Amino acid sequence: MNDNKRHNAFYSVFRRELRRMVSRKLYFVVCVVLPLFCIFFMATIFGNGQMENIPVGIVDQDQTSMSREITRQIDAVPTFRVTRHYADAETARKAVQSKEIYGFLVIPDQFETDVTGGREAVLSYYYHYALLSVGGEVRSAFESTLRTLSMAPIVLQAASIGVAKEDVTTFLLPIKSSNHPLFNPDLNYSVYLSQPFFYIFFQVIVLLVTVYVIGLEIKFRTGDEWLSIARGNMLIAILGKLLPYTIIFSIMGVFANYILFGVINIPFSCGFWPLNLTTILFIIATQALAVFIFSLFPAISIIISIVSMVGSLGATLSGVTFPVASMFVPVYYTSFLFPVRHFVVICQNLLYGDYGFAYTWQNFSLLFVYVLLALLLLPHLKNAILSRKYENIE
Amino acid sequence: MKILNNIRKGLSDVSVIIHNEFRTIFTSFAILLVLIGGIFVYGLLYNYMYAPDVVRNAPVAIVDYSKSELSRQFIRYLNTTPQIEVVTDGVDYSEAQVLMKNNEAVGIIYIPEDFEDRVSRGEQSIFIAYETTSAFLYYMSMQEASSAAMLALNENYRPNMIVFLPSGSATQLASAQPVTVVGTALYNFTEGYGTYLIPAVLIVIIFQTLLMLIGMISGKERETGSIACYATEGISFGRVSRIIAAKTFVYLVLYAVFCLFLLGFITLLFDMPDLGNPFYVIALLVPFILATSFWGLGLFVFFTDSEAPLLFIAFFSVGFIFLSGVSYPMELMPWYWKVAHYIVPAPPATLGYVQLSSMGASLEQIRMDYITLWIQCIVYFVFACLSYQYQIRKAAYQKIKTQ
Repeated sequence: MNDNKRHNAFYSVFRRELRRMVSRKLYFVVCVVLPLFCIFFMATIFGNGQMENIPVGIVDQDQTSMSREITRQIDAVPTFRVTRHYADAETARKAVQSKEIYGFLVIPDQFETDVTGGREAVLSYYYHYALLSVGGEVRSAFESTLRTLSMAPIVLQAASIGVAKEDVTTFLLPIKSSNHPLFNPDLNYSVYLSQPFFYIFFQVIVLLVTVYVIGLEIKFRTGDEWLSIARGNMLIAILGKLLPYTIIFSIMGVFANYILFGVINIPFSCGFWPLNLTTILFIIATQALAVFIFSLFPAISIIISIVSMVGSLGATLSGVTFPVASMFVPVYYTSFLFPVRHFVVICQNLLYGDYGFAYTWQNFSLLFVYVLLALLLLPHLKNAILSRKYENIE
Repeated sequence: MKILNNIRKGLSDVSVIIHNEFRTIFTSFAILLVLIGGIFVYGLLYNYMYAPDVVRNAPVAIVDYSKSELSRQFIRYLNTTPQIEVVTDGVDYSEAQVLMKNNEAVGIIYIPEDFEDRVSRGEQSIFIAYETTSAFLYYMSMQEASSAAMLALNENYRPNMIVFLPSGSATQLASAQPVTVVGTALYNFTEGYGTYLIPAVLIVIIFQTLLMLIGMISGKERETGSIACYATEGISFGRVSRIIAAKTFVYLVLYAVFCLFLLGFITLLFDMPDLGNPFYVIALLVPFILATSFWGLGLFVFFTDSEAPLLFIAFFSVGFIFLSGVSYPMELMPWYWKVAHYIVPAPPATLGYVQLSSMGASLEQIRMDYITLWIQCIVYFVFACLSYQYQIRKAAYQKIKTQ
């Protein structure tokens, strides 16, 4: 009998929440349209994901066959698109300032004469580092092209005295490196950023929606009705209320995974279940974090802005952009308080090699801890609803 | 005389609205929290988080199967680079892999058994660098470090290779010089990540907190029905535009102070780039704050409670950084996101500010984004007026109906 009653209470709360959800267009927009928008945004913003055809300029003050050959070689690098030639370095720098180009190469006057005459010749390249990610690509492309070119005078000289090209390269570069960026061999930006950043956006939505739906009960004084339908059981009240959102968000998460890994073909090493179950666990942990923060001080107008800030911090503390291990120690440890950090760590493990649970059990456990924390504060939340203390705070 | 009277009446109307708006802001705990938390705490916090600026001593595992003098020298060179730190050189490849899986190493440098043997036979030696791509900065630091160490090792070892060249050719080769290649980073004096990102983040913070402020105020007006009070003075377009202008004036005053804090004080405190001519920066911020206010006022008056607008603001903070073209070049984005760049006030302002303050550009060089902001001002002003007119009329009718 008792069991049946409990089930009914849960079902009633669940039904009530569904009715509330369809009563306003807002919920549809926030729970469905916004996540879909985020999926679309992260799937398309990087174009094909390759930093190719970046506009660069050439300052050719030499105007010889050698300088034209260098220009041709620069033009042939896939990273670059030589959009303009500039008369001097100053005009080229101005063009960088107006963001017409992201870097330029200066071939000085007398370059060919100096090279053939055995005097020191200098090739200077400049890259835009106020826009660091593009600038980094421009620099490494210039570096690898020009390093090879820089040996040309010696190779030429060697050819003229009959030394084989291989011999002279071995002489010049006895030790050579072979670089292997793991998991993302062609350094594709979509592979790198689309998945983590979708979830960084998504966790903010989950946090805010959770706080919003619970907070409205207190603000609009429907908390009593909510609790009475749950027969005074706060656990049932909160589970029945949040379950519809968990379901919708999980569907959105699985759909996002499908788009990212199935349609735009981001490589991943694990199967369907590990990826999607982790996503669902992450959504639940994020909801739990929202319940926890809200229960601390159940006044929606205050907490919703705090949660906005907490959510936005996730972008930095997920460690995707600037590695958290290189930040100051307090920031590094703070990052472990954010579910999105653990989710990113788990996902990197799953996507890169599916190394196994042994490497991520701590992160998984911590995601469960959020749920425990939220449960611990439920009695406080119940008191807050019954005491009506927080209804008029704004 | 009549015109003078009209002006006087208009001004007193405006001053009443301004007064009320200030009172709403300074009596609401939630709004003050957004402003203090969002501007002051966030501004300091972001700078603190990115203050390390560059990746130093990234942990790298070395798999040294060569165990030779040359490999040890190479490891020493690697260890002296600022970018990486050798955490171990006594592991085999599978142990190194475990280190990477545990995030205790961000990369592996594999030195094969014949590393020294090959060069002493006169052949080229190869080492292999495996870099994680979980954060591109790790990849970049490892690449920089390994190529610097490689160049140093090559310089050092080259004299030993002369014996493998045909006799007599060495002196002739010495007459040729390699071309010196010099690379220079423009507009980022620390070559750091914070220096690059923080100016953009500051503008997005201004944008987001201003939207939150407007969202909370206009949501509140709809929630309590106080928006209907505006109807007492009529709802002609002129009158509604006075409301919008008065509200925007308040935001402009507040944000003059906040911008001074974020873009002036914080920039000085954390040594952020400030090449910008202050007058240009102000000239950019004015249309930015105006356009943002009008845009926010026009949009958020459609929400019926003061919290709902916040659901739409915070999640896209990073999105604006992407859309601004500061992190990923706009040239490579699909056309519809290029269009989006010019629709919302934040992306052109972010890019414009980075160009002004980090690169010392002139207004003429950011004309595209600058003019866009002024066009947005005009368009969104009309939009805000129409939205308000519509909502005030609706609220007023409802009030009459219920009475």
